[in-house]
Amino acid sequence: MQISYIAVIILFCLGIYTIISNKNIIKMVMGFTILESSLILLLILISYTPGGTAPILDRQYEIVVDPIPQALALTTIVIGGSVTAVMLAVTIKLYKRYRTLNVDKLRKLRG
Amino acid sequence: MNRINVISKKLYKIGLVVSLAIFLLFIFYDIHNLESNSKRYLSDHYISEGVQETGAINIVTSVLYDYRAFDTLGEATVLLTAAAILSFLVPITKDKMRGTPFTIIVSQTTQVFIPFLAILGMYLIFFGHLAPGGGFVGGVVIALIPILLTITYRVEFSEYKFKPDKKKVSEDIGAIGFVLIGLLGILTGSNFLANGQANVSLGDAGELISAGLIPYLNIMIGIKVGAGLAIIFNSLIKEK
Repeated sequence: MQISYIAVIILFCLGIYTIISNKNIIKMVMGFTILESSLILLLILISYTPGGTAPILDRQYEIVVDPIPQALALTTIVIGGSVTAVMLAVTIKLYKRYRTLNVDKLRKLRG
Repeated sequence: MNRINVISKKLYKIGLVVSLAIFLLFIFYDIHNLESNSKRYLSDHYISEGVQETGAINIVTSVLYDYRAFDTLGEATVLLTAAAILSFLVPITKDKMRGTPFTIIVSQTTQVFIPFLAILGMYLIFFGHLAPGGGFVGGVVIALIPILLTITYRVEFSEYKFKPDKKKVSEDIGAIGFVLIGLLGILTGSNFLANGQANVSLGDAGELISAGLIPYLNIMIGIKVGAGLAIIFNSLIKEK
């Protein structure tokens, strides 16, 4: 097992811990972004083969890395950026309405 | 008592995360074993036959715009939806988020940088099937121009240079053009977004005009992503 998978696990758990332990909504959005970057790293690690070149075949290459997870990583980046933008917009709306970003106080103001 | 409660809650969360980490450790161990033993038929097919079938020497581009082009259409729709939601949710047109004005160094450097950004973005879009890059990356670089204008000067100047209506129209042109190019495949009697199967002339692999419909799809996606990201950024910063 490569050591880089450990980095994926650490990033993933750091993201989850950031989401469940913080009260501030902006820090929770940061947690989601850390989670997303760990998943991109996992996709790139799965596609890697030792000694492989990038999948641009302008010559004959012996070993080429897997192109499919790289295409999926592009999808992940685009959708992650869109979702982060929408989350931040909703955060701005919440702050304008309640004048706080604390999740507990938001809950008390409901009704 | 309260302090003990807080500490126990924190320990509970840390315990949850650590148990999740152990679970993931076992799963990744299995994934690693799987991938060293198994043979990847689909990737091997793409690598060995992809250049002949699509005409693009960048295999990631040929996966994105030929084999899985329908997936890319969905991805572009997500970006369109996000831009639409943001411009609907944040309609106030005054900027208050601008902090202190920048010095002359920043504004002069922005003026110097903008032509280079335009050329780099165009290069990334047009050479998407030959080199690293493509519509998404080139579109992001193009979108940096209105973003830089917004940060350095202000929203009013940026929207005077790039009108919001024109940005919206160009994003729609990108989305509709992608679908129309896809419909060409149906007109020739093949599937939606078909490229090599629909007898489009692929040209010589490695030339600038080759790979059938892939460069045109790249241009459409580049227009769409650039306009969409500019709309998203300006909508976020316009909030009062």
